[in-house]
Amino acid sequence: MLAIELVAQGLIQGSIYALVALGLTLVYGLLRILHVAHAALFTLGGYVGVLVCNASGSLALGFLIAALVAGFGGVAMFRLAYQPLLSKPPYVALIASIGLFIASEEAFRIIFGAQGMSFTNPALQQQLVLGWGLQFKLAEILVMVSTASIIGVLAWLQARTRIGIACQATVSDPQMAQSFGISLLKVRDINFFVGSALAGFAGVWVALLNNLVEPTMGSVPSYKALAIIVLGGLGSVPGTLAAALLLGVIEAFGTIYLGDILDRNAIAFAFLIAVLMVRPQGLFARS
Amino acid sequence: MNYEISLITTMAIAVMFALSLNLITGFCGQISLGHATFQGIGAYAAAMLGKAGWPFLATLPVSMVLAGLLGVIVGLASLRVRADFLAITTMGVGFLFVGIVRQQESLGGELGVSSIPDHGLGRVGFMALALLMCAGIAALSVYIKRSWMGRVFNGIAEDEDTMRVLGIDVPRYKLAAFAMGTSLAGLSGAFYTYHLTFIGAESFGFVESITVLSMVVFGGIGSVPGVIIAAALLSVLPAWFQVIGDYKLLVYGGLLFVMMRFSPGGMAGLAARFFPTTPLVKGGKP
Amino acid sequence: MNHPTSNTPLLQVNGVTVRFGGLTAVDDVSFDVHQGDLLGLIGPNGAGKTTMMRAIIGVVQPTVGSVFLGGESLNGLPIHKRIQKGMSLSQQLVRPLRDMSIQENVALAAASDKTISPLRAFLNVSTDRELAVAQTELARVGIVSMASQSPSIQPLGVLKRLELARALALKPRLLLLDEPLAGLNSQEARALATTIAEINQQGLTIVLIEHNLGEVMRICQRLVVLDNGKKIGDGDPRVVMADPVVRAAYLGGDALGASEAQGHSTLETQRA
Repeated sequence: MLAIELVAQGLIQGSIYALVALGLTLVYGLLRILHVAHAALFTLGGYVGVLVCNASGSLALGFLIAALVAGFGGVAMFRLAYQPLLSKPPYVALIASIGLFIASEEAFRIIFGAQGMSFTNPALQQQLVLGWGLQFKLAEILVMVSTASIIGVLAWLQARTRIGIACQATVSDPQMAQSFGISLLKVRDINFFVGSALAGFAGVWVALLNNLVEPTMGSVPSYKALAIIVLGGLGSVPGTLAAALLLGVIEAFGTIYLGDILDRNAIAFAFLIAVLMVRPQGLFARS
Repeated sequence: MNYEISLITTMAIAVMFALSLNLITGFCGQISLGHATFQGIGAYAAAMLGKAGWPFLATLPVSMVLAGLLGVIVGLASLRVRADFLAITTMGVGFLFVGIVRQQESLGGELGVSSIPDHGLGRVGFMALALLMCAGIAALSVYIKRSWMGRVFNGIAEDEDTMRVLGIDVPRYKLAAFAMGTSLAGLSGAFYTYHLTFIGAESFGFVESITVLSMVVFGGIGSVPGVIIAAALLSVLPAWFQVIGDYKLLVYGGLLFVMMRFSPGGMAGLAARFFPTTPLVKGGKP
Repeated sequence: MNHPTSNTPLLQVNGVTVRFGGLTAVDDVSFDVHQGDLLGLIGPNGAGKTTMMRAIIGVVQPTVGSVFLGGESLNGLPIHKRIQKGMSLSQQLVRPLRDMSIQENVALAAASDKTISPLRAFLNVSTDRELAVAQTELARVGIVSMASQSPSIQPLGVLKRLELARALALKPRLLLLDEPLAGLNSQEARALATTIAEINQQGLTIVLIEHNLGEVMRICQRLVVLDNGKKIGDGDPRVVMADPVVRAAYLGGDALGASEAQGHSTLETQRA
């Protein structure tokens, strides 16, 4: 019984990780940049979601606006920060991203205060009893459902639509993609938009689950997201999802059984390093 | 005077730390996001030994060896993974270190280690020794740059596949860089411990790792004078601008971003632009 | 077998097969290269020549079979070890180190004994001897006048010669050249091919992959022809090119495209 609960907790947490990691893997797969500042969009989404929902009373509107704002924020980051640095060595974009990340965390703290914000009327808090002694908030169930459906849709889009295939081509062979008339810029914009919107979307979920948005909430999920994209195979949507869910579950079990030796974050990375030693190319990478 | 001495000592320790990373990143091109771990290993080694009665100077070689040893292990592990995974792997090592240390009561757990005994050198003596170490590491760095080791490092940083085809044992050189860089980080850790007389695991976490990396990049990767100046300045930035105080991280983050955006070569790059020296090669970079 | 006599071939490729997943890129290929040979490894596009070269240099490991250098097996050895054992490679995609001058590029190769271990490299600072060697090799390939210039401003012809000089500075027993003439116009190609032939005449064993059949026929004493991963010809250039199997391989679809790209047809080459 405890095991099932842990698995469920793990899947819930893993869903959040998946939403955040997806944006990261799309960017890394595309541009080989460790987009640390992605975390800022997650936090931004959380704040916007709470603000809009509190102002309008509609959670759905909060989700929508948060995703849009985060999405456009991501594109702005790409255009202003990364695009000019594409020709430079990779550490340049990484440090720029780090600078952006630190600055935005601080900006949130200065603008919104360090204590954070909450929903005036948090929705979806009703408990659902599922049998086997399992009991969840409606929000927790919906997080998993929405993640699964969104990622399913994305995977389908990537495989079946022109845009999706264009994205894949841009990742594997940008020059050839260009010669086929695919606009690299447009594809990159789309990638950033989608990935960032997902992060913003995840931010609102976390705000709802904890009923709190605070400036530093983006750091930990994004560090783990970095580990996840390595595990899941760069640019692979299904791989990232699998790795994220797996990590969530491993963490849930790990905190209980290994809590004396490692703290929660360390478990995620211990898992990562252990996997990499056995399979240096990552868990789900096609070698 | 005491305040200034303390400040200079802080700067010296930061410079040691930054120069040690410069060996790995600046010379050999390996991006480490977990360098603070090795400073932490040296710091904890010195703390444990100091509390067990060892004199300060005796803790120095142990800190270096321990940090260097673990550096080699991490280095060996990192060599197995793809180059672009190195950053994330080192980041993982950093979290692992903090995570383990925080749960170990024998290492002070969440509260850290305090009441580190006095080093017995006096304020000025300690500062002088720290500065001496800085000078030594700087001299070592400059020597390496001029030697064939530096030339090989340079080549590896630029194009390691070509270096293999030129017969260079690339993994061995990377390990050498790692061993040197991490043991020197351990050295800075020992000084850190005795300077602060109190340490905790969170002083050697991810934020500290990216801070020191930023110093190296800000100064100009590979540039010894650039890194020295950047580390010295950035380590005491909040102390100099009290008014920044609350906004310090914002300024810091903003500076990093602006520097990367407009002068990826860091301060050294800027200097080269404003004071161009005669190019070593016709048509090449100055 | 322990004491290589002068009859032991310098390079032995024994039954090498290279498979990637379901694709067999090289299929049971064997050939020998003797001291002093100038051997051309040719074949239509996709024949497996590059994979063969990579198996020799160590970028890929053979699925079956082995490669011997001077009687010693190279199986399992990493690239740098093979280089240290006496082979060197000039790559198709030229990759000079742009942070240093042309002569410094060559000097780095010349310093192979000093750079063999990090410790030795640490203990050595002087560059005089290596720069002198660099001057010699650059003169040998005809670009010594650009010695102190940066590679970034050089045309392809000069960069190809830099690749060659760098490979020579390693003082190899066996020189591998991967499409040294690719991208050069007919004048430059002819000149570089002549240089390669001269270097061979000075005593260096050379294996080269090349699509430029005209020059290959002119300078190589021996050809090995691959098609679809299999060896279909081995021997005197004229004899090999007259073989109907070889001609069929070349005059097939791919080959036509390849020879058109070079600006002359395969038939013209025969008359030259």
